[in-house]
Amino acid sequence: MKYFIKVLWAEAVKQHRNYFNNWMIYISLFVWPLLSFLSAYYSYSSFNVDGTLISYINGNNILVFLMLGYMAMSFFRSVVQSAWNFSRERQSGTLEYIYLSTANRLAVLMGNALSSVFESSIVMLIFGLLIVFSNRASINVNTISLLVVIFIFIIMALLWGVFLNACFLYSRDTDFLFTILEEPMEIFSGVKVPIVIFPAWAKIISFIFPLTYALEAIRQVMLNGASLQAVSTILFVCLGIIMVLLFATLITIVVVEKHMRKTGNVVLF
Amino acid sequence: MELKVLKATITKEFQVRLRAYPVSFMVGCILTSFYTTFGAWLMYHYFFRGQLSESFGSLTGTRDYMSYAIVGSLMYLFVVRTCLNVSRTLMTELWEGTLESLMLAPFRRVSYFLGNMLLQTITTFGETSIAALIGVLFGLRIHDFNPVGFIIAVLLSLYCFFGVSLILGCVMLYTRNTYITQNTLFTAMFLVCGITFPKEYLPMWLRVLGSIIPVTDCVSLMRASLLGGFPQDQMVKLVIRAFVIGTAYIALGMPLMKKVEIIALEKMEG
Repeated sequence: MKYFIKVLWAEAVKQHRNYFNNWMIYISLFVWPLLSFLSAYYSYSSFNVDGTLISYINGNNILVFLMLGYMAMSFFRSVVQSAWNFSRERQSGTLEYIYLSTANRLAVLMGNALSSVFESSIVMLIFGLLIVFSNRASINVNTISLLVVIFIFIIMALLWGVFLNACFLYSRDTDFLFTILEEPMEIFSGVKVPIVIFPAWAKIISFIFPLTYALEAIRQVMLNGASLQAVSTILFVCLGIIMVLLFATLITIVVVEKHMRKTGNVVLF
Repeated sequence: MELKVLKATITKEFQVRLRAYPVSFMVGCILTSFYTTFGAWLMYHYFFRGQLSESFGSLTGTRDYMSYAIVGSLMYLFVVRTCLNVSRTLMTELWEGTLESLMLAPFRRVSYFLGNMLLQTITTFGETSIAALIGVLFGLRIHDFNPVGFIIAVLLSLYCFFGVSLILGCVMLYTRNTYITQNTLFTAMFLVCGITFPKEYLPMWLRVLGSIIPVTDCVSLMRASLLGGFPQDQMVKLVIRAFVIGTAYIALGMPLMKKVEIIALEKMEG
């Protein structure tokens, strides 16, 4: 375990040195999500907000509703970016060195995701918390549920990142990742529009994204004062997803290593 | 104007595209337009059940939110594609290693950029038509078509987008970065140029920012020519304003580009 943590930490530090050596990184991590958040918020102004079917959303808390969405998404989005960056390891040939070392593969992937989940989302998190705090009169929080949900949420974001990283051990073609995970995630996970009111076919698509469940749980406990019992179904689904992601990652790691040993193509596809 | 350079640029670019056209770019842009439309559709029909705020009608002159948002997203697609291509031309030359030889040749920049722009316009029209067809499925309706207004809006948009592309191109070439600059500009334009909601909802300083980007006026003009609800004199005002701002961008962009080219060439090896 000590060794596992050592590898994990080393990878996290390496990631930090790689990507946080330039202030420009904060533009993509903070300015873009902030601008999208503002666009979404002002587009609500075209509507009569109190006319929505969702009982716990009203003109007062819609800002917090949206902010929670963008805050949660920044965690999941940052791991997509981290996976994209991870594919560069393959192109620059460093993945080969990692595979030649005895480092635990899961620890490497986890270190990578860990650094991006915490570092890349921190600015958006602080901004979001300020917004939530300044609108605290409009929210209805269940503190105990919130603590449990946050814990599960972070584990989920982390494992989602680990899983995406593992997928890119297999291929260097990462462009499609953005095509299917950036904007669709924003729409189908209910960041701007809650999935409860989605038409059936859109709901089915939204079930693919882990963010859907995590976000719903967070909103329920922060805006609707939901107890643990009330969100138990979502939480069980979240735990199920965590197990599936972990299991899928472990399988992918083994399959990829076998494949690479057979073909010898660590730097290529 | 040197037609020879113009023709040569078009031929060159056309050949490059025939052989290695970035289809992923095209698909990506159409998808972005689709997601914007789809997001607006979900919001309008499902989240807020078709209940517009009272101010929307008075600000925009229409009660058809879907057409309003779709025309906005189509114009956004148009400007993004133009900027992506024209601004990046010299940057692409730099990447491909042809900038130095290009600079050795005596040619007029205007013809070179116009050549790129003309070819891009044809491609963009194709892409926008595909996106418009998708838009029709989501409820795009033409209410009050004004052919003269439409032609003016298209020509003026091309003129203004050319100016914006030049300035963006200067920034790109100077910073030698396209990813951060282009995406920052695009997300900012989406916010301040009234793409999916009336810009009057924005706070004052963002509105001011929007009014110095000619895209804002072009989007309003296009909406006015397709959806109506805009008095004639206000349209004329918009045309004049967009033309003045667009001209300012081009007048500033051309000499600036020359300066930046020199800096780029100096830094090329470094």
